[in-house]
Amino acid sequence: MEKESGYTWKLGMFVSVGLLLFIMAIYFIGKQKNLFGQTFHISSKFKTVSGLEVGNNVRFSGINIGTVEEIRIINDSSVIVSMVIKDEIRKFIKTDARASIGSDGLMGDKVLTISPGPKSTKIIEDNGAIASIDGIEMNDIMKSVKKSVDNVGVISEELAIFSQSMNNGNGALARLVRDDKMANSVSNTLSNLESGTKGFSENMEAAKSNFLFRGYFKKKEKEKEKKQEELKDKKEEQQEKEVKEKAAKEKEEKAKEEKAKEEKEKQEKQKAEDAKKEPEKKQ
Amino acid sequence: MILSLKNTFSQIGSATLFASRFFKEIIMPPYETKEFLKQCYAIGYKSFPLVAITGFIMGLVLTIQSRPTLVTFGAESWLPGMVALSLIREIAPVITALICAGKISSGIGAELGSMKVTEQIDAMEVSAINPYKYLVVTRILACTLMVPILVFFADAIGILGGYAGINIHGDVNFRRYLTQIIQSLEFLDVIPATIKTFFFGFFIGMIGCFKGFNASNGTESVGKAANSAVVTASLSIFIIDMVAVQITDLFF
Amino acid sequence: MIKEKKNSDPKSKDKNQTPIIEIKNLHKTFGGDNEVLKGINLTVNKGEDLVILGRSGSGKSVTIKCIVGLIEPDQGEIKVFDENVLNLSKEELNKIRVKIGFLFQSAALYDSMSVRENLALTLTAHKRDLSPNEVENEVMEALENVGLSDAIDKMPSELSGGMRKRIGLARTLILKPEIILYDEPTTGLDTITSREISELILDIKHKQKTSSIIITHDMACAKMTADRIMVLKDGVIHTEGTYEELEKDEDEWVRSFFESVKL
Repeated sequence: MEKESGYTWKLGMFVSVGLLLFIMAIYFIGKQKNLFGQTFHISSKFKTVSGLEVGNNVRFSGINIGTVEEIRIINDSSVIVSMVIKDEIRKFIKTDARASIGSDGLMGDKVLTISPGPKSTKIIEDNGAIASIDGIEMNDIMKSVKKSVDNVGVISEELAIFSQSMNNGNGALARLVRDDKMANSVSNTLSNLESGTKGFSENMEAAKSNFLFRGYFKKKEKEKEKKQEELKDKKEEQQEKEVKEKAAKEKEEKAKEEKAKEEKEKQEKQKAEDAKKEPEKKQ
Repeated sequence: MILSLKNTFSQIGSATLFASRFFKEIIMPPYETKEFLKQCYAIGYKSFPLVAITGFIMGLVLTIQSRPTLVTFGAESWLPGMVALSLIREIAPVITALICAGKISSGIGAELGSMKVTEQIDAMEVSAINPYKYLVVTRILACTLMVPILVFFADAIGILGGYAGINIHGDVNFRRYLTQIIQSLEFLDVIPATIKTFFFGFFIGMIGCFKGFNASNGTESVGKAANSAVVTASLSIFIIDMVAVQITDLFF
Repeated sequence: MIKEKKNSDPKSKDKNQTPIIEIKNLHKTFGGDNEVLKGINLTVNKGEDLVILGRSGSGKSVTIKCIVGLIEPDQGEIKVFDENVLNLSKEELNKIRVKIGFLFQSAALYDSMSVRENLALTLTAHKRDLSPNEVENEVMEALENVGLSDAIDKMPSELSGGMRKRIGLARTLILKPEIILYDEPTTGLDTITSREISELILDIKHKQKTSSIIITHDMACAKMTADRIMVLKDGVIHTEGTYEELEKDEDEWVRSFFESVKL
């Protein structure tokens, strides 16, 4: 008899520890999946779930608070996702919370993230529904990223050329930027020009007012325009020869600069003419 | 060739009859509870050290072996989950079953074989003890119930071995390790694997008993019975495993 | 010259005795062409010890194994306690088996159990409601019958050949059988131990009032235990009679047994 009890307790211990291990495993896995303990359900409607699956985690503030319980398609453009969430979290989820679907890690396990809403203070009910932010599809992201990356490429290339010409080129603007003297002289020139044109314009007004000179003036104006056109072309050619590496952009820039100057001059001339014409009319 | 094929089929046929007799006899009283407990002790408790050592080594080795690959992918943090998953789903059940086939199946085969040869089974028969019930039913039942428990132990000890393996290269908190494992597990990993082990246990016991019970006369046949019990049981474990995995795959 | 007493009816010899085992025209063939029994007819009366003599392979063991249903004969009739063993269901057969003790050639003790468990298992298999104390008492009584009560806690592997046979006998005795079948009880033992076993067989016969069939080729044992002797040759009963009758028999086959004793 004593021999019998000698093995019985060992057997009993063996069996109970073994079963305990199994029950513990079941319990902990169940706990992980929210099978035990208080839970509540909420649901949310999505256009697409981007591969979310039943059993994926639900996160709130970055914490796993539950799992996706059911994914049900109701029509061609909406899917209802219902989830089980620990009851203790419920007080933090308000009615205006929003659900979104994202990826977890590089390998792309999907997670459903609940983000708190801006203002509501009403706690969500069991079986309640929350709004969803539509998941951004990876394709869309890739498309927009590609577009902006392309743009950035073009911009940075242009920027590089521009800044190089600014630093090394001999263009007017470059010199203007680099050279103090030049800047001063330009401003002097401008002020001289201003005062000079005033006097000139007076004379001209007088000349113009004479109708005999009117035709001449017009002719002169046209010639001037032509001359300047030629001058511009020449200059461009020169520059191309000088700095072949410099791209067309710079030329344009310079041309623009030139044009702007021309414009100014023209305008001033026009003004002067106008000023001459005015007294003419009055007369 | 044809003769050996015919032999194989007749073996399978009589094994099937033998197994079906188990289900008939198990429900009919009297129940040999005492002998059953004794067999549980001999099969379960006595095999525990062997299973524990194997389980520990499997966990340790699996961790060390999987580590380099996972490190290549920068997924080192998956190591506990992966080791636990492969242990629980496949390695622990199969390795434990193979160990049991080696230890239990051959033991039963040799024991019953020698009982057969020395007329002990006949002696039971003539003293109106049902030898099938007393020897076979108790052993098969004990095997069917003890092998799953041994597998639970192998799982747990294998996970401990994995922890040891992880700590060779880094320092992981044990709680963190367990949490990672639990997080990576689902019922689908545990339940089919557990159901599978019952079949392993049944076949280990059944094949051992069948080979021993049908040993022909002569001492030589005892060795033959033990040997062919191990071979057949090991083979059938792999076949059951394949079937079980396919069924699991089919339904889930 | 050959005095065959085939198909002799023992009832005609002694009408007062009631037959307890009757075997008629028993045939058994092994493996298709090995005909071991070719029509055995024998009767054992109540309280009688029948010795079956025969050389190895003459079908002695097969005959008694047929009686307890271990081997199913191809043809023939076996009646034990007036019931045809061959037509019985498993349960009915077991009821008869309880009344028949069978001592195997190798004693067939259960190796994995102690002597006590060997005996107790046989007892409790049929009397499940016995208290541990009653079991203990019965085991002790059976062991005392064979004079080995101090071997109760030993394992079979610790016992000598003679002790094993005696424990085997005790194990059959514990169910208080009415018939005991001995399969070569003295084989493999020295002459002194053989003599002890033979004395034990006689002793049990007187104490328990059993009938027995003793299979042997040991003439000393046969001489001590036999009320009647049958000589088996090539699957049939060759001769039968008392020891004294057969001693005077002129038949060569029978003489060969007696001469081996004298040498």
